[in-house]
Amino acid sequence: MFEGERIALLGRSGAGKSTLLAIANGSLRSEQGEVRWCGASIRSMPRRKRREIGMLWQDLLLVEELSVGQNVNSGALGRHNLIWGLANLLFNVDQSACKHCLQRAGLDADLIERGLIDAPIRQLSGGQRQRVALARLLRQQPQLILADEPIANLDPAIASDLLDHLLNRSPEGQLNCGAKAIVISLHQPELVHRFDRVIGLQEGELVMDQPADQLTPADLSRLYEAG
Amino acid sequence: MNRPKPAAPLLTLLPAMALVPVLIVTWTGLHGGGLSIWQQFLSGALHPSLDPDVLHAVWHGLGVTMATALLSWSLSLLFGVLLGSVCADVVWRSWSLPIWPATGLRRGLAIPRAVHELVWGLLLLQVFGLHPYVAVAAIAIPYSALVARIWRDHLDSADHRPLEALISAGVHPLSALMTALNPGMGAVLMSYGGYRLECALRSATLLGVFGLGGLGTELQLTLQSLQFRELWTGLWVLAAVMLLLEQLLRLWRKRSGVGVHGQRRMLLFGTLAIVLGVIGTFWLRLIVPDQFSGLSWIGLEVPSWTQLNLAATELPWYPMILETLGLTVLAAGIAIGLPPVALLLWPSPRWHQCCSIFWACMRWIPPPLMVLLLLLSNRPSLAIGALAIGLHNSGVMGRLLLEGLQQQSGQRQDALRAIGSSERISWLYGLLSPQSPSYLAYGAYRSDVILRETVVVGVIGGSGLGWQLLESLSSFHWAAVVLVLCCYCALTISGEALSDRCRSLWLQS
Repeated sequence: MFEGERIALLGRSGAGKSTLLAIANGSLRSEQGEVRWCGASIRSMPRRKRREIGMLWQDLLLVEELSVGQNVNSGALGRHNLIWGLANLLFNVDQSACKHCLQRAGLDADLIERGLIDAPIRQLSGGQRQRVALARLLRQQPQLILADEPIANLDPAIASDLLDHLLNRSPEGQLNCGAKAIVISLHQPELVHRFDRVIGLQEGELVMDQPADQLTPADLSRLYEAG
Repeated sequence: MNRPKPAAPLLTLLPAMALVPVLIVTWTGLHGGGLSIWQQFLSGALHPSLDPDVLHAVWHGLGVTMATALLSWSLSLLFGVLLGSVCADVVWRSWSLPIWPATGLRRGLAIPRAVHELVWGLLLLQVFGLHPYVAVAAIAIPYSALVARIWRDHLDSADHRPLEALISAGVHPLSALMTALNPGMGAVLMSYGGYRLECALRSATLLGVFGLGGLGTELQLTLQSLQFRELWTGLWVLAAVMLLLEQLLRLWRKRSGVGVHGQRRMLLFGTLAIVLGVIGTFWLRLIVPDQFSGLSWIGLEVPSWTQLNLAATELPWYPMILETLGLTVLAAGIAIGLPPVALLLWPSPRWHQCCSIFWACMRWIPPPLMVLLLLLSNRPSLAIGALAIGLHNSGVMGRLLLEGLQQQSGQRQDALRAIGSSERISWLYGLLSPQSPSYLAYGAYRSDVILRETVVVGVIGGSGLGWQLLESLSSFHWAAVVLVLCCYCALTISGEALSDRCRSLWLQS
């Protein structure tokens, strides 16, 4: 993976996309091989280095019992100590940073000003929850973003908006989300044109790795045909 | 910084602040005089007495305690389910009847529930004299009311749409209730009923400590005569029985399901409860035949209005109530706050195992014995009572917390670890946070229990309403007994209403 790359991870259900992302993120251990980030093995990577890798989970893994602001701040827990973590549970610290991330994630500014930060996660709609998870990711300020089917349960408009936030580049060629590279697993092959590179998995095996602009419909049908 | 608004996980940790004043008072009250006795007590753990007479006494005491626990548990389940069904609104509505009788009965049941089994035991002891059935009744009365409350709460909070559909289709209300609500209630009966058996064993031991016979009496006598090796024989036997019972109930809970199998298991559980009750009766008759000479009515002298008025003016109500409430707040703080703080400090599986063993020990030693042990090297104070009840109940809360945490998927914790959060923060946000509302809700219920339990250490620690109650009972001052009991009832019923509100608030948040 190279700096600035936007990678789409494709494959049928059960092909191993989520497993690969969890291994890349370090929350699962691989039986073979090694994942390295900036030259260091994920397994032996110090805690401070781990915060450079951010993940947008398929089921979001928001803490339902906490407020929106506390959830967004939980993205920054890797940079802070236990006292800060406890203070966040008491005061909802660094509100301005939270609001900024929520705005960047596409949440309505009025809604944020009207006290969204203090709202319990349970009160949010599916699209809003997705954006809070994105705001948490942005609050983490990761160098690498891994996203596991982030648009699986979203309506097309919200899905497109979310992808814009993750994949759009500045005129200087840098990703707007602040990361240096991004890997997203998808079930929508029609969106691969928004990526630079496509990796295809079939029953846990890497069967495709090519630039997105060279992908043909035949490649896709081979990838999705019954194994 | 904006206005402080503690989130649920922080609310589980904050009560541990009660430990600060308690430890300061305990520390300043320490005296070296009891150190050699503590040494003897601890060495007794390694060399329990194996003298045949001691073993026989312990075996006999254990038999009485277990038979009492089985019989009282069986009776409380039977009466609890019956009373709980009668005071459920849904049952009266199914027959298209007004619900006021159910409401009235529910309010009436608050009184037997509010009085601790020890108080029932001491009262019945005064009325009927020493008889094995006194301990059985002392446990069965409040436990029936407790089971009735839980049973009714579940009946009324269940989804009633299937029931309404059946009734509107012309099904007889009884058949409709059995068909629509019975399957879900099976799990409640098995889970809560199993827990009550553990409680019954603890209560039977506790009543023994206050002279109602059984293993508790053996423990109390050996501790008072400083025969620590004999004391440890009893304690080890009690630990083994409680551990065995806990494991059996855990296995039962794991294997019990819902649906068709759940209903079968419920029937099996009901039958088992009745059979165990019958076994308890015969066992008790077999072990203490000389005490089964029939219950004799010693009677109570009903106090007159003048006596009640006089007692009301002579008793120091404010200090007694304040001491009781202080004891409750401090003990509840320790019981609720200590387990999450202990787990947060070192969130490693090995440490959690150590905590689990510590909590098992805390559950196993009855609070009055714990107070007496603490008093070996400390001055009597409210703090000692709070520490004893708090530690005992932290054993129950700690087990509940660990069981809840073990059922969590751990995905959130892994996700937080993966972004570089420390082990403590990952545990706090990833595991404790999802668990905290239900933990706090149970903590609110436990505070009720603790308020009732203050009577247990009150009588030993010489503080609060508990002490006054025992004093009044020993001097046959029935007017004071009636008034203190009324005060206890008012406090526990108010506490129950408060904890109900807290519980529903935390479960909804």
